[in-house]
Amino acid sequence: MITLNRLTKHYEDDVVAVEDLSFSVAAGEVYGLLGPNGAGKTTTLRMVLGLLEPTRGDASILGHAVSSEPMMVKRQIGLVSASAGLYQWLTPREMLHYFATAYGLSANRIAERTETLTKLMDLSRFLDRRCATLSTGQKQRVNLARALVHDPPVVLLDEPTRGLDVVGSQVVFDYTDLLRSQGKAIVVCTHQLDEAERLCDRFGLLHQGRLRYEGTLLELTGETGCQTLVEMFLKLLDNDAPSGSDS
Amino acid sequence: MTSIPHESESSADTAMPVSALQRELITKELRETLRDRRTIITLLAMPILLYPMLGLGFRFLAVQESAQTNPEVRLGFATEQEAVWLREILERGDRLLQAESDSDPRAKNSPTVQYMMLENPDKAGLRNNVASGQADLGVRVRWKGKRPNRASLDADITFIRKTNSQFSQDAAAYVEERLRVLELETLTQRVKQIDGDFEPPLRQSTEWIEGKESTSAILGLLPLVLLLMTVTGGVYPAIDLTAGERERDTMETLMAMPIPKFRILLAKFVAVLTVTLMTGVMNLAAMTATVFALSLETTLFGEQGLTLVLGGQLFWVLFVFAVFYSAVLLVLTSSAKSFKEAQAYLIPLLLVSLTPGLIIFLPGWKLDQTTSIVPVINMLLLARGLFEGTAMWLPAVVATVSTLLYSVAALALAARVFGADAVAVGSRGGWSDLWRRPQAEQARPESATVLVTMAALFPAFFVASGLLGRFAGSSMTVRLVSSGLLTVTLFATVPIAVMIWRRVRLSSGLALHGASPLAWIGAVCLGLSCWPWVFELVVSLQSWTLDSLDETKRQQVEALLQAWRAIPLPIVVFCLGILPGVCEEVFFRGFLMSGIRSQANGRTSIVAAAVAFGVFHIVLAGGAAPERLLPSTLMGLILGWVTWSSGSILPSILMHCIHNSTLLTIASLRDELTGWGLGTVEQSHLPTTWLLGSLAGTAVGCLFVWIGSRGKGPTI
Repeated sequence: MITLNRLTKHYEDDVVAVEDLSFSVAAGEVYGLLGPNGAGKTTTLRMVLGLLEPTRGDASILGHAVSSEPMMVKRQIGLVSASAGLYQWLTPREMLHYFATAYGLSANRIAERTETLTKLMDLSRFLDRRCATLSTGQKQRVNLARALVHDPPVVLLDEPTRGLDVVGSQVVFDYTDLLRSQGKAIVVCTHQLDEAERLCDRFGLLHQGRLRYEGTLLELTGETGCQTLVEMFLKLLDNDAPSGSDS
Repeated sequence: MTSIPHESESSADTAMPVSALQRELITKELRETLRDRRTIITLLAMPILLYPMLGLGFRFLAVQESAQTNPEVRLGFATEQEAVWLREILERGDRLLQAESDSDPRAKNSPTVQYMMLENPDKAGLRNNVASGQADLGVRVRWKGKRPNRASLDADITFIRKTNSQFSQDAAAYVEERLRVLELETLTQRVKQIDGDFEPPLRQSTEWIEGKESTSAILGLLPLVLLLMTVTGGVYPAIDLTAGERERDTMETLMAMPIPKFRILLAKFVAVLTVTLMTGVMNLAAMTATVFALSLETTLFGEQGLTLVLGGQLFWVLFVFAVFYSAVLLVLTSSAKSFKEAQAYLIPLLLVSLTPGLIIFLPGWKLDQTTSIVPVINMLLLARGLFEGTAMWLPAVVATVSTLLYSVAALALAARVFGADAVAVGSRGGWSDLWRRPQAEQARPESATVLVTMAALFPAFFVASGLLGRFAGSSMTVRLVSSGLLTVTLFATVPIAVMIWRRVRLSSGLALHGASPLAWIGAVCLGLSCWPWVFELVVSLQSWTLDSLDETKRQQVEALLQAWRAIPLPIVVFCLGILPGVCEEVFFRGFLMSGIRSQANGRTSIVAAAVAFGVFHIVLAGGAAPERLLPSTLMGLILGWVTWSSGSILPSILMHCIHNSTLLTIASLRDELTGWGLGTVEQSHLPTTWLLGSLAGTAVGCLFVWIGSRGKGPTI
């Protein structure tokens, strides 16, 4: 469902953000795009979303290339951004209505999706309260619901547990499991490697814009000789330390 | 390099109608804005607090102005005897002055004179009293005898006045003027006793007239206050809806929506404009209430006061000004990454906005051909003209059109900048993107590029047309060459240069494609048949309401037609028919329509290009012809439709050239046509048979183009 083909992003001052990145994600699969800060994870997501123009390469969602059909691609994607950015003066109901309209849903479909997501994300207690008055956890629930309002086949999660407590993080884990069970293709970008182990089926270890290792945890263990993702990364960083540069 | 294509309307395949989607976008922005108390405070509280305070200040200034027109003269004396004598002398002088000039408007503002006895009637006492400001002028009188002689002016008068006091100078001038006239009268009488025919050698008289300029500084200040106060309403929403999206971390999700950026920004623009207009209305209401509450209407607006018509006109100026400033505010705030950065951009903007407000106070500034295209200054001068009742139609229309065009251009720029660098940490987007040459070739010019070019071209065209008007006395060859150069430069060279710079493929960007034979035949029919109804429409509009072709202009047109006769017809047709036909189509149906099409559907792009075509045709060399707006817009619609249907501008170029050439040929052969009994084509109406033939020809032409376009989709 998601295919990246030699996706590359260079900035004007010769900074390499992402270099020749290729991977694919199937339906019902959770792919963890992992790496330290500045590895190029968010840049990759933005190129997939059509928000950033790649220097080379392309990405496609359900066969629609970002370069030629950016609007079609955007319509297939639900984005959960790193921070639960909400409109302070709108209620969760109004926010869901706004985004559903923007994604082209009819009035009946909007009502139906709002009801479904309210139950799913347990929004009923604060559905008509201003977003500014919600707790961090409640905001994250609204954010997750917003990403699913148009029932997209592909969901991109960028640091979804950042700033959340244990309970809030558990909501994200449950949410990801639910998406997997619904057959959606999911990409999770995170540097929380222990959480990634719980969330993802397959991993891509990104460092300095390049994909260093890719596979299931079992495959990566065999390839690197390390038992955990954290150990793998530390080994990766050690190997690159003398010539390392920040992207 | 792989590139992300333009976010065109056609690719936004939404289930919801575009208008409903836009309404939802606008609703969200309005909710966000109007629920915020800070906005409401600016909207309601500021005018309510400010205008009463300003009103009191204005009233104080008005009282000061009134005091200046009804001054008080305080004369200090050492003795009562001196005061009584001078009072009688001054009253006699006053009567003589009034007899000399009974229509002197200053008479009703003659000063009140106070005659003050000083407590210490010595020499130093009088000087001290004047120096300390107790009296404006000290007067000492010494008579030849010990006692004053009322009948005689035989006395020595000494004035004690301050060198650095206007009051002292005014008081001295008042006394001296009366003494001088009385002295002259006395001398004349004495000479007449010797010579009965004697008359003074110089006899002066004064003719008083009313000046056109506002004499009230308050009136000059009012437009600035009103317009700047209106703008303040839009500042906070503009920041909140653009830079605020970044601070709230909502920009990324906003940009990830499958909606063209221009639509999102348009919704934000409507919200900012709404708040700005509401602020404007509040300001207007508060100003009106203050004016009436403090009884300032006559002081500020003269005898007619603040009428409903004036209120409506002011609201229109406020509307245009609000549109312009809302767009400018969005341009600046769209590139800011935070509230703080946006504020840093806006403070200089407000300070810069004050400058034109102060410039217009300088003598000689009025709304004319030059100032009407200068942003901000034009609207301030228009507002002042409305206050003073001196506003003229043509500069007012040009000021409005140019300001609205600048607004559209600003909005297009804002859409380019908005969200460009917000979505990516480390992305290098933003303002530099506007001027950077694209690396990849593009099929169409961007809408921002064409709108900015058009906004720059309109004032350039207006000024250049005005300059062309100055060639009226030159030879016909010079006039034809300059007109041709202007047309080629503005409507062909500029857009083609812009497209080359933006790496736009000329064949696709200008729709230089082949067309079906039927489209060509249709274009020929339309070119030959449209002119009679276009001409009739112009004549009818002139005779109904907009009679802009007065006798002087008729004579100029007549002289022009005579001058053409000296030049071979093919040269006239080439310079005034073929060149404009080709160049205007390159600009309006090629460059402009193609650029608008990158953000809007075909219908919108045809209408927008047609309206722009109509507006440009209002401007004539050295004047304006508002009656050309409707016919030219209708022609623009047909030309746009022909381009759209045939997928090429070539048939519309042919149609335009034939249309122009036919009109010019008929105008040149007017006498011959009249001689052949084919009717006259001056300012009178055309024969009905001609009009019927014209409409039939237009219908047949459209039919050919339509049939020729069937089975193939539009390619622009």
